[in-house]
Amino acid sequence: MSVIGYGFRQGMKNIWKNRLFSLAAIGTISACLFLLGLFYALIGNFRNIVKNMESSVGMTVFFDEGITEERMEQIGEQIRNFDGVKKAEFISAQKAWQDFSREMYGGDSELMEAFGKENPLKDSASYEVYVDDVSVQKKLVPLMEQLDGVRKVNSADTVAKGLGRFNLLIAYISVSIIVLLFLVSVFLINTSVATGIRVRRSEISIMKYIGATDAFVRLPFVIEGIVIGVIGAVIPLVLLRILYERILAFILTHFSVLSEWLTFLSAGELFRVLIPVSFLAGAGIGFLGSSLSVRKYLRSIR
Amino acid sequence: MVEQVDLIRLNQVGVRYQTGNEALKDVSLSIKKGEFVFLVGSSGSGKSTFIKALLREVRTTSGELFVENKRVEKLKRREIPFYRRRIGVVFQEFRLLGDRNVFENVALAQRVIGIARKEKIKKNVCEMLKMVGLAGKEKAYPKELSGGEQQRVAIARAMVNRPSILLADEPTGNLDPENSWEIMRLLEEMNRLGTTVVVVTHNHEIVDQMKKRVVTVQKGRIVSDMMQGGYEV
Repeated sequence: MSVIGYGFRQGMKNIWKNRLFSLAAIGTISACLFLLGLFYALIGNFRNIVKNMESSVGMTVFFDEGITEERMEQIGEQIRNFDGVKKAEFISAQKAWQDFSREMYGGDSELMEAFGKENPLKDSASYEVYVDDVSVQKKLVPLMEQLDGVRKVNSADTVAKGLGRFNLLIAYISVSIIVLLFLVSVFLINTSVATGIRVRRSEISIMKYIGATDAFVRLPFVIEGIVIGVIGAVIPLVLLRILYERILAFILTHFSVLSEWLTFLSAGELFRVLIPVSFLAGAGIGFLGSSLSVRKYLRSIR
Repeated sequence: MVEQVDLIRLNQVGVRYQTGNEALKDVSLSIKKGEFVFLVGSSGSGKSTFIKALLREVRTTSGELFVENKRVEKLKRREIPFYRRRIGVVFQEFRLLGDRNVFENVALAQRVIGIARKEKIKKNVCEMLKMVGLAGKEKAYPKELSGGEQQRVAIARAMVNRPSILLADEPTGNLDPENSWEIMRLLEEMNRLGTTVVVVTHNHEIVDQMKKRVVTVQKGRIVSDMMQGGYEV
């Protein structure tokens, strides 16, 4: 405990003593985590928008001719019980005709009267089925087609495939950029701590002469790295939170027309993930960067 | 009463650096527990390499080096810190940490070996500072002390863990004659209390007057080894 306490005190003193290096390292980590946060916010919101588009891509389930209302209700229940189904909305034959005629004839009663009182779409009652993830459509269609009383299932397969691929592409790009930023941060903190070590090499050599183990020498530097990493995480989090809320408010005020399409994540939703990720990344970058440079230096001396 | 046990033993030890320079050649020497030994020789004769080999800062390239019956060249990297805790070391340029006060400089040696209790560290450090004549200077920083006082702090740091061997590499090299004598008296006192002391020096006067064992090294070889000898380089 005393060794850890000593390491912590020395680590904090080191940060203060080498405040220029510390500030440079904090700045570096902050910049990287700011980019990471910014990127995560963009990707997160983009995925959210895509997801909303996905859930608006529905499937239509049509019934056999002469099916009873009771059976239609049963089919509805069965569909709702399938995994991945978000909503199954019943469209009666009457509503289908009303919607169709409104769309085709713009509500022109004269044209509609040409059909008399009979509903030309009397066998077109259906379920509009919406899913959480567009990729499950492919599995759901054959399952629904097998249900007794189901005549046909229409699905927007091309749209579903396209969105699925787009989602995967976004995931690949985001992972690649995050890994790249992480590596750059580790390299930069490594360089910063290595400079700090060079300044303190006589101290390290004295410690080695009096019998300090590598772990004892390493501890203050590692703690220093972690503390710098955590401080480096706080700054971009605060900045991003302020920025995000302001940008969100600006878009919602000035582009309200797009509000149906642009469904943004709330600050709470975004930062619920971003806060732990940033702290872990900051501490991890600090730990890794400082450990690597101290290890390299210790290996170079006897 | 000095026990007649070999604490340090070198059998035909050689050290050749990667540059090809052979710093020690075929050196055989025994230092018994409780001895006080001067190691003398001109610059570049191999004295510092001898100290470095004892500290396992350099690895011997031939022969056998035993310290407390441990084969030094066979030590694994992770064993070296624990081995060094048995050896106190003092340098010409003191090597104190300028940003820490006297107490902290000496306490560092205790922390390094994992002593956890503050009270114990305080007791040991204060005892040692009293022994080297620095009681009351605990809060002073190295730059506020004279050269002699700084070297006393270095001796306190080297001795606070009660090592069995004290190596002093030119401990009076940066001191005036009066301070040099005070430091030598202190080392003699440590020796009287049971520590084996090896002092590398160029100081003729001290070597001649103290009448201790004198080992002379020239061009990497031991050319003389005299009990109660004098400086004959």
